[in-house]
Amino acid sequence: MTETTVPAAPQIGLTLRSLLRADATVLMRSRQAFVLNLAVPILILIVTNRGGRLGNPGFLIGMALTYGLLSSALIGYSITVARDREAGVFQRLRVTPTPTWAIMASRLAVQLAANLIVSVIVMIVGSIMHNTSFSFGVYLLMFAVSLLGAVVFLSIGQAIVGLVKNATAVNAVGRVLFILLILTGILGSTGILGDDFKSFASWTPVGALINLFSAVLNASAWGTDQTEGIIASIGYIVVFAWIGIRWFRWEPQ
Amino acid sequence: MSEAEQPTILEVQELVVRYGSQTAVDGLSFSIRRGEIFGLLGPNGAGKTTTLSVIEGLRKPDGGHATVDGEETVRAPLAVKAKLGVQLQASSFQSELTIEQIARLYAGLYGLSLPQRQLRERLADVGLEQELSKPFKKLSGGQQQRFSLMVASIHNPPILLLDEPTAGLDPQSRRQLWDRIERSRQGGGSILLTTHSMEEAQSVCDRVAIIDHGRLQALGAPRDLVAMHRDDPRVRAVARGDVTLEDVFIGLTGSAIRD
Repeated sequence: MTETTVPAAPQIGLTLRSLLRADATVLMRSRQAFVLNLAVPILILIVTNRGGRLGNPGFLIGMALTYGLLSSALIGYSITVARDREAGVFQRLRVTPTPTWAIMASRLAVQLAANLIVSVIVMIVGSIMHNTSFSFGVYLLMFAVSLLGAVVFLSIGQAIVGLVKNATAVNAVGRVLFILLILTGILGSTGILGDDFKSFASWTPVGALINLFSAVLNASAWGTDQTEGIIASIGYIVVFAWIGIRWFRWEPQ
Repeated sequence: MSEAEQPTILEVQELVVRYGSQTAVDGLSFSIRRGEIFGLLGPNGAGKTTTLSVIEGLRKPDGGHATVDGEETVRAPLAVKAKLGVQLQASSFQSELTIEQIARLYAGLYGLSLPQRQLRERLADVGLEQELSKPFKKLSGGQQQRFSLMVASIHNPPILLLDEPTAGLDPQSRRQLWDRIERSRQGGGSILLTTHSMEEAQSVCDRVAIIDHGRLQALGAPRDLVAMHRDDPRVRAVARGDVTLEDVFIGLTGSAIRD
């Protein structure tokens, strides 16, 4: 065997670089991640742009972005984490001198970065398809809202894998929750189910985010809905991240 | 320095692990010297994997302690893990990564930046230099075991923990793995392995501990254990001819099937 000098304690910088490189490679090689992250929001833009617009461009682009962020977190992130836990990938990583926070931080950071890159692409494609142009300031605000949305939905995804241990059950719960959140957000935003439901929906994760995107992309005046959206989003992050960390188990069932 | 005078690399003292009301490990004690190959034998559910998980820092014991090279697993888990090379019962690596990427990842996690040449040398050493762009799951069973052992020892740790390393391997692959284990020992490393194969324990291990229901039943060199228990009525009752290590094992742990 080749003789090598082993450092007494590996440097956290090298540990994080190694994890980030591996997690980014896994994400880029995953066809499901590509579909959920990019193809789904682009498809929504195409569908909503055909046969007459279903709403104003800001709302439609915001909806596509929200849908993409939600699907990549609830269906992509949570299922990948549950699958890797069940396969023993985390156990293998945990027997190395790697702090557990670094293993999870790397996963979240890579997913977050992918979400932000996709958000910028979707916004550019959306503005071309809807024949609308945005100022640099709007792009920056959009980026900030995407970041907020990605963190909200990743917190929910983390809570799901924290509370549900079995990978098949995580898959099922993620998909059901995804449909419920999307329906509540979209139906609430359009107002077709009445003002009470609209008011309720604006406090849901999807409703709050669509309101924020819509306001930023329409450059409309900041209103109560948007302030409430930010408060609700921060609340969701705190609650779901706490649940996801508190009840997360590294070992398979 | 004789084998018996070698310093202790791993010490397990009065270890107790409980799962709810069930005691999986019940006051287990043993130690391993530098350069020693030590086998942990026991029927299914005897507490072998649980004992390893405490040493690996995956589980906190309910009593007693384990130390690796003087570092306690609960007090200094990361320092202990840096000194261990671990091959789990089922080696699971990210399925999207090639074996070259996996090797690079684990080298990094042990604080090593392996240059490409050195990495290829390591893979060539286990006969996988032609497979470096393959995902782990595309390797044969023998290749997977060799690769897992290479990853476990990528940082040349003073002690390797191997959980049933030859399970499911054909005789050729098993012999190859035994050779690699022996080479690792010749390089100064110690090895703690669990196995259900008495042939393996007899061929490879300097000493073995037989455990059942989390308790130590016997400890010593395979040949000494056979000599020591040759006249034990429990062993004589199950022996078919000359007493073997398997007869000692079954005599001490019973012949009832465990799940």
